[in-house]
Amino acid sequence: MVNSRIKAVTMDSLALAVILVAVGILAGVLFGANGTRIATSMSIVVTACVGLQVFSGNTGIVSFGPAAFMGVGAYTAGILTMSPVVQRTALPHLPAWMAGYGLSVWSSLVVAALAGLILAGVSGLVIRRLSGSAASIATLALQIIVYTVLVATKDITRGSQTFYGVPRNTTLVVALCVAALSIVVARTFRDTRTGRAVRATREDEVAAAAVGVDVRQARLKAWLLSGTILSIAGALLAQFLGAFGPKDFYFESCFLLISMLIVGGLGSVSGALVGVIVITAVTELLRALEGGGNFLGYSVPALYGLPLVGASLAMILVLFFRPTGLVGGRELELAKAWDPSKGRASKPVPGTQDVQAPKGAHALEANQLSRHFGGVRAVDGVSFKAEAGLITGLIGPNGAGKSTLINLLTGQLRPSAGHVALGSDLIENRQPHLIARAGLARTFQNLRVFADMTVRENVLVAAEACAADTALAVWRTNDALARFGLETLGDRLAGSLPYGQRRLVEIARALATGPRFLLLDEPAAGMNPAETKELMGRLAALRKDTGVGILVVEHDLHLIMSLSDTIVVIDRGQRIAVGTADAVRTDPAVISAYLGSKRMGEKKAQLAPGSVAQVIGASAS
Amino acid sequence: MEFVQYLVNILSLGGIYALLALGLAIVFSIVGLINFAHGELMTIAGYLIVLSLSFGLPLPVVLLVACLGAALSAVLMDRIAFRPMRSASVTTLMITSFGVSTICKVLFQNGVSARGRAVALPEWMSGTLTFGGFQIGMVPLTSIVLTALALIGLDIFLRKTTLGVAMRAASEDFVMVSLLGLRANTVIATSFAISGLLAGIAAILWISQRGSVDPLMGFTPVLKAFIAAIIGGLGSLRGAVLGGFVLGALEVGSEPFLTIGTAPYRDAIVLLAVVLLLLVKPDGLLPAVRGVRS
Repeated sequence: MVNSRIKAVTMDSLALAVILVAVGILAGVLFGANGTRIATSMSIVVTACVGLQVFSGNTGIVSFGPAAFMGVGAYTAGILTMSPVVQRTALPHLPAWMAGYGLSVWSSLVVAALAGLILAGVSGLVIRRLSGSAASIATLALQIIVYTVLVATKDITRGSQTFYGVPRNTTLVVALCVAALSIVVARTFRDTRTGRAVRATREDEVAAAAVGVDVRQARLKAWLLSGTILSIAGALLAQFLGAFGPKDFYFESCFLLISMLIVGGLGSVSGALVGVIVITAVTELLRALEGGGNFLGYSVPALYGLPLVGASLAMILVLFFRPTGLVGGRELELAKAWDPSKGRASKPVPGTQDVQAPKGAHALEANQLSRHFGGVRAVDGVSFKAEAGLITGLIGPNGAGKSTLINLLTGQLRPSAGHVALGSDLIENRQPHLIARAGLARTFQNLRVFADMTVRENVLVAAEACAADTALAVWRTNDALARFGLETLGDRLAGSLPYGQRRLVEIARALATGPRFLLLDEPAAGMNPAETKELMGRLAALRKDTGVGILVVEHDLHLIMSLSDTIVVIDRGQRIAVGTADAVRTDPAVISAYLGSKRMGEKKAQLAPGSVAQVIGASAS
Repeated sequence: MEFVQYLVNILSLGGIYALLALGLAIVFSIVGLINFAHGELMTIAGYLIVLSLSFGLPLPVVLLVACLGAALSAVLMDRIAFRPMRSASVTTLMITSFGVSTICKVLFQNGVSARGRAVALPEWMSGTLTFGGFQIGMVPLTSIVLTALALIGLDIFLRKTTLGVAMRAASEDFVMVSLLGLRANTVIATSFAISGLLAGIAAILWISQRGSVDPLMGFTPVLKAFIAAIIGGLGSLRGAVLGGFVLGALEVGSEPFLTIGTAPYRDAIVLLAVVLLLLVKPDGLLPAVRGVRS
């Protein structure tokens, strides 16, 4: 099962590599020396674009820094491969420890990769901590910093003057080999444990952390791999051009790379490859027209920069008509076309339930938990204990502080005061992903599935984040999918499912972390009565089989009254009642909270307790 | 004495950054676009100055033509390139503007000239004024005065006029403004017009210091303004102005500490400081207020 996935990914990456090699050889054969030159340059750009895709595609953060890494790679390789004789005239002030290596192309690529890795490591300390546009801006800053340094370190880089004398050792064969290898690495990375984790952070950072993904670490790993590949591309480019300057590694080339990736599709390695091939074809065609002259009987005026205009227009049109790119968000999965095991992939493995015993259940306890926002006491000294093996309901009117309370329990918010205990561990000061790994898993009220990942990936990423052992992660994934009837939907994109099923995916995802306690925020919201009934059955069975404690927040009071062993009621940030469904139903404080204190006197006089509960149920559902 | 000189330099350089950053911030706060093509508006204003000077128009008319031309170009840019993508993400819009900027540059290079054009400044601009013992060049002085006038004028517009108040509201919660019955496209067009106007004024100041116009002239100042807007807090109008002056102060203020060896690294050092600031305050010095709906 796992092996068949790995096999599919390997086949797919090889198929992409074969396409590249075929296009490269074809160009060489059809157009001779000029074709070979274009194919070589295209292979270098494929390497760079794939390197950019590893970070930007998987994290969703557009990087404006790819050319910075290429520049570092290019100058590193340039200095190291230059013959000592040329070096003495071109770089007379070069520090001695850098001079006189005259390396071959392959060894220069290794050193350039190392240089890129170091730059990525240093800059990654900052990048990993930022998200969204702040991270994009940091990459832009990196680009300008590296450019400034390249121009300023005249002794090593010749400043803004042309850096010349680099042996032109990047042949078509070398460039194709490296590009094919990069494709295989990037395509495989996407479906590794880290690759899935990074893509989960792209879909939803909060939800990824809530199922145990270390967002910063995942992002850093993608950044390191991306920087390494980009530097290698730069080293290839240096030995292709022979002479270059810092301007070759500034905004223009950065922009060209981004536009290629966007035309093909940011989300996939196939997209990077398609984008490079399409834009190369467009720009090469326009380059022929750039100088003006007669074409097909029309006289065309010279327009320098035409290829750049073409690339820009292609990008804008694609953004407008097909924002996910020509390929779209998913990989092409070419290998699937001739894969005989197609459709069989997501069958669960039955009968292995007893292989791994559950970790054992824990109680969840809040002690004097408070959170203030300015003067608002959203949660004000709430204490309760949700026992292992029981289902505890948490209810309260709108604005009572339920969501804040849950966020405090699972670390999305830090409490102003008070403690949260899971079993015997205090967890209130831990980061969300560590809380998830400690065994407290949750779902979200406003549905946070990883929409552009498959159902199986959604669940697997959670299992992998919390279990070091791959076999255990796969077992938990299969078990969670089977428990919520999702085993046949494994290959569907989670975002394409109907609402009720997306809720189930989220619950299955939380369950796959192997929780000691499970926290469900309005699991039945948006479900129809039949789905709700089915969900109740599945939750009851889950509790019976695993003994895991469950805390359910619900607006549907009928559901919560019949499902829960104990109910905690909060209002205005404070716990106002706790007890069995029957006890809570007749509690005057609860009735007053739901119906308003002024009306309470009349209602109490007129209605029997049972019928008040009917009113509560009707008004809140 | 020397301090006053630094202050003048900070105010005149920071003022240009502030005007540009403010233009970026107004558009960003309303449509969520980080407009990389803002620099091309400066270039357009620059070419309009060259063109109208060659017709022999008087200086005030020349400056008016430049500013209005830049404002009109900004509105046109929005109509042609950005309006069709109104609902797109911040990243998509930003990359689109990158494309627009590239196309404009190529058009300038081919349509006008790849080389710079000298702009003849009027005589009085090259003089200096003496204030009780110290001298101020006319160029920095005009810069400071024009910047102050532009900022005060904009402040009055945003506070006292209906459209201005609507724009401030739109920058906090755009959906709400359209629900209140204000025309979304009027508000957006006005924001682009103001950003173009500010780019035009900044272009005049920039050219008065450089004395020439070329197709790439907008790139560096707008990049700096972009950084200034981030320092202040992207989308925050007061933040953009503050960020502009902070960046000006960082650049001018670091000069005495830089040696011949370290001077070329100035931009790198300043940016490193900005990145470190982002780590501590990811939303900038004066973060934008946003209407948040769950």
